[in-house]
Amino acid sequence: MNNFLLGILCISLGGLSSLLSPPRQKGKIVSFFTGIGMLFILLTTVPVLLVGGTLTGSFYFKPPIGAVTLILDPLAAFFVALTAVMSFWGIVYASGYLRHYHEREIYPLGSHYFLMCLLIVAMLLVPVVQNALAFLVIWEIMSLASFFLVLFEHDKSEVMEASLNYLVAMHVGVAFLLLGFISLAVKSQSFDFASFPIIIRGRDSFSGGWILASLLVGFGLKAGFVPLHTWLPKAHPAAPSPISALMSGVMIKTGIYGILRTLTFIDHPTLTLGYTILGLSLVSGLMGIIYAVAQNDLKRLLAYSSIENIGIIGIGIGLGVLGQAYHIPAVAAFGFAGALLHVLNHSIFKGLLFYGAGLVYQKTHTRDMEMLGGLIKKMPATAFCFLVASLAICGLPLFNGFISEFLIYSGFLNGLNWKLPFFSVACVLSTAALALIGAVALLCFTKVYSIVFLGSPRSELAKTPSGVEPKSMTIPMMILTGACLGLGIFPQELILLVGQPLRSLNVPDGPSLLGGNIFVTLNQISSGLLLFIAVTGIIYFLRRQLLKNRTVPAFRTWDCGYPVPTPRMQYSAASYSASFLSLAEFLIQRQTQKDPPEGLFPQKAQYRSHSKDIFEAYVLHPLLVAFKKFMDLFAGIQSGSIQQYILYGLVFLTGILLWIATVK
Amino acid sequence: MLTILVLLTVSPLFIGIINRVKSVCAGRQGPGLLQPYFDYLRLFRKSQVVSPATSFIFQLAPTISWTTVFFAGLLIPFGPRPAVISFPGDFILLAYVLAFGRFFALLSAMDTGSSFEGMGASREVTFATLVEPAFFILFSTITFLSGFRSLSDVFAALHQNDSWTLIVISLSVLILFLMMLVEGSRLPIDDPNTHLELTMIHEVMVLDNSGPDLGLILYGTAMKLAAIGLLIANLLVPPGFDMPFLMVLFLGILFVLAVAIGILESSMARLRMVHVPQFVLVMTSIGLLILSFVFFSIGGHR
Repeated sequence: MNNFLLGILCISLGGLSSLLSPPRQKGKIVSFFTGIGMLFILLTTVPVLLVGGTLTGSFYFKPPIGAVTLILDPLAAFFVALTAVMSFWGIVYASGYLRHYHEREIYPLGSHYFLMCLLIVAMLLVPVVQNALAFLVIWEIMSLASFFLVLFEHDKSEVMEASLNYLVAMHVGVAFLLLGFISLAVKSQSFDFASFPIIIRGRDSFSGGWILASLLVGFGLKAGFVPLHTWLPKAHPAAPSPISALMSGVMIKTGIYGILRTLTFIDHPTLTLGYTILGLSLVSGLMGIIYAVAQNDLKRLLAYSSIENIGIIGIGIGLGVLGQAYHIPAVAAFGFAGALLHVLNHSIFKGLLFYGAGLVYQKTHTRDMEMLGGLIKKMPATAFCFLVASLAICGLPLFNGFISEFLIYSGFLNGLNWKLPFFSVACVLSTAALALIGAVALLCFTKVYSIVFLGSPRSELAKTPSGVEPKSMTIPMMILTGACLGLGIFPQELILLVGQPLRSLNVPDGPSLLGGNIFVTLNQISSGLLLFIAVTGIIYFLRRQLLKNRTVPAFRTWDCGYPVPTPRMQYSAASYSASFLSLAEFLIQRQTQKDPPEGLFPQKAQYRSHSKDIFEAYVLHPLLVAFKKFMDLFAGIQSGSIQQYILYGLVFLTGILLWIATVK
Repeated sequence: MLTILVLLTVSPLFIGIINRVKSVCAGRQGPGLLQPYFDYLRLFRKSQVVSPATSFIFQLAPTISWTTVFFAGLLIPFGPRPAVISFPGDFILLAYVLAFGRFFALLSAMDTGSSFEGMGASREVTFATLVEPAFFILFSTITFLSGFRSLSDVFAALHQNDSWTLIVISLSVLILFLMMLVEGSRLPIDDPNTHLELTMIHEVMVLDNSGPDLGLILYGTAMKLAAIGLLIANLLVPPGFDMPFLMVLFLGILFVLAVAIGILESSMARLRMVHVPQFVLVMTSIGLLILSFVFFSIGGHR
């Protein structure tokens, strides 16, 4: 445990030193400290993750917090290790990304690095603090730090708007968490997580259900489950790319951690809970990816795709809960293992995608995909990494995304062996939905990749990306690319990482379940994929040999005889997705604005389309309007005069005193 | 191993039979049955033209599309003889490997920057997206009937079931046959003989490919058609047959499928593009039909 604390200390030191050091050195210093911190933390967490066991350390604070016990069980170790590694590479990338802002004084770099370190420390502490009050404090620090990080480019009005939206959303989440944790604490007379299970285990299931629901809503909002997702697609485009990567890759996973931890409070989960989680996750997955297809802003699209991946993780969790509820440990193991692996995989390839998007944005100054094109020639390293990440996020074999999705599929198919009528239908339909999610993801990411990187530049912005790709940005990308490939080709090693955390999730024989048949299967997949690579290599070599002595003339793309083709005639992002979106019109509700060409020699014409988030328009917005109406009832007591507010305070305090006096 | 050998050797003949049946129906003499072999050979002997707008993806994609179909062949059993690679849930890898090939085919089409090819890619990806759930409903339902096993065992176990087997198998064959038409870009989805770029799907995606690359693409498409044909044969042929007769049965089924496609193509026109999704969604509906049928019959047994 001491090593863990040393690691935290190192990262905090890095944050503090960034406030004092000269602007050009900040990135290097913070990267150095975070790197050392990461090593210390891995030293503690890796043994726990691979061998099992629990590390504890106790600290005493003044009341009302009291004794805080840090507990590093395998589940916590999984999230801590993931956070440590991804944060380090995030910082390294940020040190390259922020170099552009050195000259511009209005952007406070020192405090930006400091807040980044603060966010990382908070994210590292969230899984190990197992005391409700301290947990909420850390959780709040995490939300506030990330709020200020999103606000980095504070001179832009849309950034201000998005970050305020984010701040409010996070506090709605905290309100739900407060409600849940305080009701638990009141019942158990303790803030320790360890004392909670008895409460929900108690037979008074009604209030237990409500407590559970409020905790899940609070955590679900952080994770970004539909319909609690609306902050995500706003905050991500507004934040600088390293922050988007950190938030999407790591921070929203603390919501997943919270959900998993909440599940450990329950003695035996019910079917209702399992089907609820599964259903909501399927909706998140499908809606997330369909909305992603409709986006033309690169980072907004990636944000929606995060919602989709949170959905896939949730599908795994739902399957795990159902496995427990039906007493089928194998299904529970597959579900949870798939979910945990997808947490890991998503943070790798989504981090990579945001890094790539950041580099594209920095070189071309636009996030609008319709302006881009042909970047593969100007930015080869970025293009290669982005290609691998796109393949991985579609869950295609050779890459890590396939492995986690395969485990979830296996869980569903395994569930069919028990021939339980309702569960079997759910399993079959879920596999189909998961397949649909995968197929739409393929549509989405072929669109992204081909519009941004392939073809010819669609505007001047994409024609002249300035400068080379800096090493501090490409090295983290290369490392993550290697991870996508390595974990995808040798998945046997990957599965070792999630064996022990399953124990914390009440699947005691998890490691042995994963060590058996599935290990053999993954071995088969691995050797199959190696064969695939070999065959591809051989065929490509033969093709090269065939063409070696022949002249390969270059001639422009077939233009159907039209003499003056321009890059603007290429298929655009909107047109590529149009034929699919026309089928999903009822979900997307595209609003179009047309100004069609007229006359024999048309001069000006335009077409705009905008897609509406139906959850925001029809669920959230009416709720907010109703809430505002309710709040307007109290407008009368808001006079704006200080004296009156002091009077209110006085009346309130007197009331409390009277209440205590009468009760005691 | 047999599957991949059959795919490599027989698949061009499969296309040859389709074309021959079509020409006979149209009252023409038509090309010889072996014409596709000569076509591919001719393409492999040619050089190719490469657009300067393209990148390495354009060069790599045809190889990858061909290899993915080759790899799919390694996953498909040949009756009682198991596939080269087989494990529980191997059909997932089968579907995803084909998707891998599609990913690169789409990128390669978009790489040229041609709006025709973009249009083809956009259509292809839309229809392929709709096929995927049907495939998974079908194979999950079959898994339900025969347990979570590898494809070879699944097909063997399917035949050991009793009365409802026949209905399940015939509906499954129907789904796979429709899938053959969609994935192989045949009528009524896509007309392989059309000469108007605006109405093409698969053909227009490869407008800029030529020489060996085009050869690989055409060969791969033929192999994909035959691979789905072999899946159908696996469904239809009950266990208990052994070599030479097994081979005769499998090749016979492929022949019947090729003739069926030929007759179908001679007797119907291409669907209007807006109606294609409905056609593809029929597959999902049949899948759901099998699913509900299976569960009702199981419910009756319990």
